[in-house]
Amino acid sequence: MPVLSVRSLSIDYLTRRGPVHAVRDVSFELEKSETLAIIGESGSGKTTLAVGLIRLSPRGTKVTSGEILYTKDGVTNDIRKIDDDDLREYRWAECAMVFQAALNSFNPVITIWEQFLDTARAHGMHDRHRIRERAAELLDLVHLDARRVLPAFPHELSGGMKQRVLIALALMLEPQMVILDEPTTALDILTQRSIIDLLRQLRQRLGFSMIFISHDLSIAAELADRMITMYAGRVVEHAKVADMFYRPRHPYSVALLRAVPRVSGALGSVASIPGSPPDLIRLPKGCTYAPRCPYAIDACRDADPPLLAVDTPQHEAACIRWQHVAEVIGSNAEIPVAEKLA
Amino acid sequence: MTAVPVASKQVGVRWNPRRYFGGMWRHPVARAILKAALTIWVTTTVTFFLIRLMPGSPVELKIDELIQSSNGSISYEDARAIASSLFAIDLSAPLYEQYLSFMWSLLHLDVGKSFLSSGTSVTSIILAVLPWTLFSVGTGLLLSFVVGIGLGLLAAYRRNSLLDRVVSTGGSLVSSVPNYLIAIMLILFLGVQARLVNFTAMRGAYTSGMQPGLYPAFIGDVLFHAAMPITIYFLTQLGHWILSMRSATLSALEEDYVTAARARGLSDGRIRTAYVGRNAVLPLVTQLAISVGFIVGGAAIIEQIFAYQGVGLRLLDSVRQRDYPVIQGIVLLTTISVVVANLAADLLYSKLDPRIGRAGGAGG
Amino acid sequence: MSTAILARPTVAQRLASPLLGAVEFLRMLSRRPVGLAGFLGIVFFLLLAFVAPLFVPFQNDPSLLDIYLTPSLAHPLGTDFQGKDVLNQIVFGGRDILTVAIIAAFLSTLIAITFGSIAAVVGGRLDTIIVAITDITLTIPKLILLIAIAAILRPTSFVFLAVILALLQWSSLLRQVRAQVLSLKERDYVEAARSLDLGLFHIVFREILPTMRSYIAIHFILAMTEAMYAQIGIILLGLVPISGSNWGIMLYFAQGQGALFYRDSLWYILSPILAISLVQLSLATFASALEDIFNPRLRGS
Repeated sequence: MPVLSVRSLSIDYLTRRGPVHAVRDVSFELEKSETLAIIGESGSGKTTLAVGLIRLSPRGTKVTSGEILYTKDGVTNDIRKIDDDDLREYRWAECAMVFQAALNSFNPVITIWEQFLDTARAHGMHDRHRIRERAAELLDLVHLDARRVLPAFPHELSGGMKQRVLIALALMLEPQMVILDEPTTALDILTQRSIIDLLRQLRQRLGFSMIFISHDLSIAAELADRMITMYAGRVVEHAKVADMFYRPRHPYSVALLRAVPRVSGALGSVASIPGSPPDLIRLPKGCTYAPRCPYAIDACRDADPPLLAVDTPQHEAACIRWQHVAEVIGSNAEIPVAEKLA
Repeated sequence: MTAVPVASKQVGVRWNPRRYFGGMWRHPVARAILKAALTIWVTTTVTFFLIRLMPGSPVELKIDELIQSSNGSISYEDARAIASSLFAIDLSAPLYEQYLSFMWSLLHLDVGKSFLSSGTSVTSIILAVLPWTLFSVGTGLLLSFVVGIGLGLLAAYRRNSLLDRVVSTGGSLVSSVPNYLIAIMLILFLGVQARLVNFTAMRGAYTSGMQPGLYPAFIGDVLFHAAMPITIYFLTQLGHWILSMRSATLSALEEDYVTAARARGLSDGRIRTAYVGRNAVLPLVTQLAISVGFIVGGAAIIEQIFAYQGVGLRLLDSVRQRDYPVIQGIVLLTTISVVVANLAADLLYSKLDPRIGRAGGAGG
Repeated sequence: MSTAILARPTVAQRLASPLLGAVEFLRMLSRRPVGLAGFLGIVFFLLLAFVAPLFVPFQNDPSLLDIYLTPSLAHPLGTDFQGKDVLNQIVFGGRDILTVAIIAAFLSTLIAITFGSIAAVVGGRLDTIIVAITDITLTIPKLILLIAIAAILRPTSFVFLAVILALLQWSSLLRQVRAQVLSLKERDYVEAARSLDLGLFHIVFREILPTMRSYIAIHFILAMTEAMYAQIGIILLGLVPISGSNWGIMLYFAQGQGALFYRDSLWYILSPILAISLVQLSLATFASALEDIFNPRLRGS
């Protein structure tokens, strides 16, 4: 049984001009100890999706349809339907969501220790001694010195340190699932490296399932088992990481890969995607990517394509021309896509 | 390739006073104290010159008056000497010296003697009435702060609800009307028209004849007499606190750490107090001390209306009686109290907000 | 090369633009009923104070027989302690008060804008001095100083009074103006103006200040409320030589003559209170509606 099964989830923002369809009919599954990467540009709906998974959507947001099925010890619940107390318990004890460290995730006027304490107390732990031990243990896991970090105030820590503390906090209650939103964005490159290594180590030691959301493909390559690309609120492709990088079948995934500069690539090999994402209030009738797609034909503008199974196993793409894309790339090749298209 | 010049090391660096004091300027605590001292100095100087240099200066008037009332039997020099001691300035000396000696006696808390009851020092007069004003103003302010913050927080959480609208509009309406008008209206409606409260009995700081002391009957009496001024200060300040707290809370609610706290499963109650509340209240605390200045100013009129013997009323009496040393003294001492209150607020704020004043440094 | 781009605006265009602006403004105001009420209140009292006296005959005939009459058709608001009609005094009583308030607000705004911008644009030592003076003036309890000054200087003319009030009031706006100008100083269009060497005066008054119009308007209104508060306050205390009969003086006499404690004289004391309170309320609600209109961030709520 997958730990998390999202089925046809749709989320709207309510604005004066009309509802913004930020997340449209998204479905995916997360197995135990699996790492899933959700990749997309700004406005693709990925953060809205993540926040929706723990029902923390801001005011004016509405989940219009779908189910979020969470399974633990054989018992499955629809997160959309559980009551407030269970929801509070679910948050952090079952599913921990870590926001970007650069965003201020910490209360600036109380110490880190107090914030550990608050989190522990909110979930029924009241023994200060035990909490202290646990905190020290966790900080040790993320290679931080508890004696230095706990009495400090958030502004006294660097971005990288704060991100580690957040990760340590996330693991406090041994959740089955950890969601990380842009875990390495806004950090310098050396710190990014250390965070990625840390996440890999922790996952190996503790075995939790992980979803991380990013626009950065390289982190997906390093950590993910499976990958989803999102565009204009929809899942446009999902596949195993290797398949996504070497055998993409949706034009958007291809474009994303081409947009990443490669150290060994020729100078002309980088290409940005022309055009801009669609207006999510008034969506076009056909495929939302069609206006920017180099392979679009008339049939593409008739209807938004559903996810279609492609030639590799457990791989789906929302494109009616996926075979053409496969031909352009050359299926089953092992050379990275970007170099081939250069 | 150009050679990079090596900076020559200075042997025996001289102590640079500008750098030293400039550095001190950056330290928030020292800067606050310096500013306070400067303000006090400026006010005393201004008051001094106001009294002394105005055409038809009160000092000269006093000298004339003394001479006249003695039918010319006092010489000018003697009259001037008497005026000197009354004003705490030496009038025979050149202006510069007068100023210095004035400042000197000020440091000794000698601000001269009252014209009326000659021999009573202005300082003692003021000290007799200042506590009453501070008591009534302080209590009213504190009450309105506490209640206002609670209501503001509530209004922000229930944004746009009926409660929010009533509290916000009501608060701002009452705050816009001048406090003395509200005082008069209260007397009019409660006292005269409806005969609900007996205001004449409430005049004065306490019932005359009662021995001041810390026993319950006296304290009850004091509160009885102070009730009206306190109510007025409370009502007129309430709106400001409600609206400030409401907007500060709304800002705090939008902060990311609030969402992150909810993602961690923290209870709404805990978030409301330690996460939203504490961050929202912080800037309001400085405003608290600054408000003291405003209210002490308006207190004069309120005390007149209710015949409450505070410093404001004393000022007005002195004005009517042309008792200039007392006027001078009151202006100085109220300014000093306000400056000290502001200083306290600044220091308090730097204690409360961990982001200020600490040698905050991000470690690797 | 077409000269159309550089064509001067026609008379029609020159007239139309502020007119359209005014219509748009009224439309936005009507969406905020409380603010609209405030605006109408201000208009009403301005008319009452400045226009009505031109049409209503001034009644100044004390009649001891008619002391403290209750409201009737002849005297809609009753009479005062001298038998004079109250309504008439209300009509004529606003002029002085509002004139002083407007002058004081105007002067203090002028001082604040001038020195605030100069401090921000020139910077350096001048800036430090101006800021220091401002901070100090900000801390001094205004009313106490005002009482002391009124006692010593004994202002007889209302204009003099307005000047004194203005001199006590400019501090908080100056701070705001300075902060705004400092932030705008770095903006592109100011850089452009500077590189075109357009001069300090031009930069301040033609480039930066127009964007601060909303700030300045709001402060002007709030300064009026402060000025009225201080003014009525010292009149009530009897510190200003009493001449003529304005709302403040009515209050002074009402208090002094014990009108507070007679049941029949209710309207004599209540009318000026209501007039003053309504003016203050109108000003305050209008100012907060302005703040709402001009601050786009709050608009979406």
